[in-house]
Amino acid sequence: MRANRKSVWLIVLISMLPAPGALADEQLVYATIQPAQITLGESAKFTITNLGDGTSAVTMPVVPGLKFEVIGRSRQIELINGTTLPSSSIVVRVTPQVAGIFTIPGVTPKTQPLVLQVNPPGSAGAAALSTAKPANAPPILSGASVPKGIHLTEDGSAYLRLTVPKREVYVGESIPIEMEVGMRSGFVSSLNGLPKLTGENFALNNLSHQPERSEKLIEGQPFVLLTWRSSLSVVKPGTFPLMAQVPLTVKIRTRSKRQSDLDDQFGDPFWQNFFGTTTPKDITVESPAQELRVLELPLAGRPADFHGAIGSFALESDISPGKGDVGEPLTLRMRVIGSGNFDRVDSAMLQRVDPWKTYPPKSTFNSSDPVAHKGEKIFEQPIIASKPGVQTLPALSFSYFDPSLRRYETVHSSALQVTISPAQADSSLAAPAPGDSASSPVNEFTQGLKPDHAAGGRLARSLTPPYLQQRFLAAPCLLVLAFTAACIGVRRRRSSAGRLSGRNRVASRATERKLAQMEAAARAGNPGLFFTSAREALQEILAARWQVAAGEVTAAQVQERLGNDDIGRIFAFADESKYSGYDVDDTDLGRWARVVRREVAVEAAR
Amino acid sequence: MKSALKWAALGVSLSLASGSICAQDTENEFSAANLYNLANLYARQGKFGMAVLNYERASLLAPNDRDIEANLKYVRAASHVSEPPRSTFDLVARRLSPLTVSWIGVLGVLIGGLSVLAAQISFGGAWMQRAALVLGILMLAVTVCNGIALWPTLHAGVVIGAQTPVRVSPVPMGEALFVLPEAETVKVTAEHEGFLLIKTRSGRAGWVSRSAVARVIAHKSIP
Repeated sequence: MRANRKSVWLIVLISMLPAPGALADEQLVYATIQPAQITLGESAKFTITNLGDGTSAVTMPVVPGLKFEVIGRSRQIELINGTTLPSSSIVVRVTPQVAGIFTIPGVTPKTQPLVLQVNPPGSAGAAALSTAKPANAPPILSGASVPKGIHLTEDGSAYLRLTVPKREVYVGESIPIEMEVGMRSGFVSSLNGLPKLTGENFALNNLSHQPERSEKLIEGQPFVLLTWRSSLSVVKPGTFPLMAQVPLTVKIRTRSKRQSDLDDQFGDPFWQNFFGTTTPKDITVESPAQELRVLELPLAGRPADFHGAIGSFALESDISPGKGDVGEPLTLRMRVIGSGNFDRVDSAMLQRVDPWKTYPPKSTFNSSDPVAHKGEKIFEQPIIASKPGVQTLPALSFSYFDPSLRRYETVHSSALQVTISPAQADSSLAAPAPGDSASSPVNEFTQGLKPDHAAGGRLARSLTPPYLQQRFLAAPCLLVLAFTAACIGVRRRRSSAGRLSGRNRVASRATERKLAQMEAAARAGNPGLFFTSAREALQEILAARWQVAAGEVTAAQVQERLGNDDIGRIFAFADESKYSGYDVDDTDLGRWARVVRREVAVEAAR
Repeated sequence: MKSALKWAALGVSLSLASGSICAQDTENEFSAANLYNLANLYARQGKFGMAVLNYERASLLAPNDRDIEANLKYVRAASHVSEPPRSTFDLVARRLSPLTVSWIGVLGVLIGGLSVLAAQISFGGAWMQRAALVLGILMLAVTVCNGIALWPTLHAGVVIGAQTPVRVSPVPMGEALFVLPEAETVKVTAEHEGFLLIKTRSGRAGWVSRSAVARVIAHKSIP
């Protein structure tokens, strides 16, 4: 029991010796590399320290050109004011395989990347490093006084500097800014967020995800500098204070200043942590406030095609390919090059230009700086020519506001000429260019083709089968019409003849009856009935011939159409005997009976 | 009776005159040999799409030309395009040239019409009239079958552009659905503002630029 108690105290005491002086409310992982600059062939010590219960996932970095070997692990327990604080460390040997500057990514998502510079053997940097003492500044550090615009925190552990190139901007204008966070080596344990602007009147665009990392001596102390670049735009006019802030976790000294100065002489966080002189604390570092005057864009002289672009731009245009066929899509390209708010650079390009068919353009932006303030925006518009020949595309224009000149500008491109050939699909019956045929190679492929035919043969104007051509279809159509007409004619004639013959048969029978009555009246010596029957017999036969009713055949019509006096007299006798009672002797009736029979025979023969 | 025969004779003479006018129009004429030689020229230049197009056109005028058929197969094989399958009906129905088939159809109408007319005027025996009617109908059927067999070719197009993109809508931008190889034969189903709606043998459909696909027969002449 006694032995066990001794061993427990021994572990506690031993673990307190190398324990870092960190008192954390929450788990904290950080990594250090020492030294930050070595010569090829040497190794650096990369230490990952976890101030917590050790459950945080630590990823061993993988950097091409660097070899990482874990050479030791240690766990410590620290007792501060009766509270047990566990911590663990992983010591890794970093051996470079080539010279150069390497960035070792953070071991956790929250930790910052580290930079290791590997000098080639025999270089000046290597020589300087070999003679450097831990308390002296490393060779890559430069500067010894507080630069302009830097305001360190009260404890001197960090600063935030906001660099704005101008104090007067226009609404919507985009200006590039820099936000530099300086963190004193060993005193800032973590960066807890990205820097941001205070106030609602500003918008930060395109903030770089990975800051540029460098190191610098400020007032003789080593600082790690992280620089973010972004573009700033203002949404309304007025005068506004502009400042930025960033959240950090720093290590607050828990020892007296005099004792800490002794620690600082070592210049190495490892030794500072070794003696356990600090405790972590979350702070917000702010940049000094600056005043920004925001102007409204002038209304006077604003072009109709101004879409809010502010900056300095130039315009170029081209078309590709430079020549094409009718119906072939070509690409009209407009490049807006310069600096400014490219998100407001817009163009409708061409619309309804005869003989072109235009489509909506699409745009791409190629930035030449990290904050998309400089670069070129390319508008590509598909266009299709509908007519062959040399076609001219009108010049393109683009309007913007130039803040340096304080006025609107409109730039124009030059008109473009394109040679449009008839579409190959339409002119495919034409032979290819003679030059092409002359240069056609006689190779293995062409030898496999069957030879050409002798020119000639049946000529055709159209490849459409004749039976589908309107002009040829006229032939069978005319035939069908002709046969239809012939058939209809035959049918009509037949039916007409049938009707006539039927009517004649009926008329003939009626005539025969009347003639019989006439003969009987002659024998009976009845002249009235005789001439009446004779007239009716003649009416029946003439009505059948003239295609009228029998009652419509009158003496006047007979006289007019036939000019026959005998028939006229018979009609007159019939009327006379009917209405006046005139009597004709037997001889007369016999003679008139012969006349009637003769006339009936004549009309029937017709 | 005489006047009916006069009508029929007038119709025949007019139809023959119409057909001869159609045949005698010699402007911009071309022959199967010319088209075949043109296709050979394109093939030697490596323009397989144009070569296949002109072989197809030549085969319309001369369906039994073995050289056209052989070179068409050869060029399709060289451009790695599969040969469209042809049914027995297709082979038989396209045995004769469209011009011959057209005149057979006209003759069929003539014989059929005369047989009907003869029946009307009671000319000849009934068996002769019926035989003439059947013959006329058969000759017309030959023409109809040729039209059915040729219908796909009349609405076909040949890809003349290399790696022609097929798009989902008739506009030149946007993602291509798939790409058509040169010399591929497709079915053209519609046209809209310089773009053709095509359908491949595998059933895939989309829009291509009119400059990339040439119809075997110009669109305006197809009913």
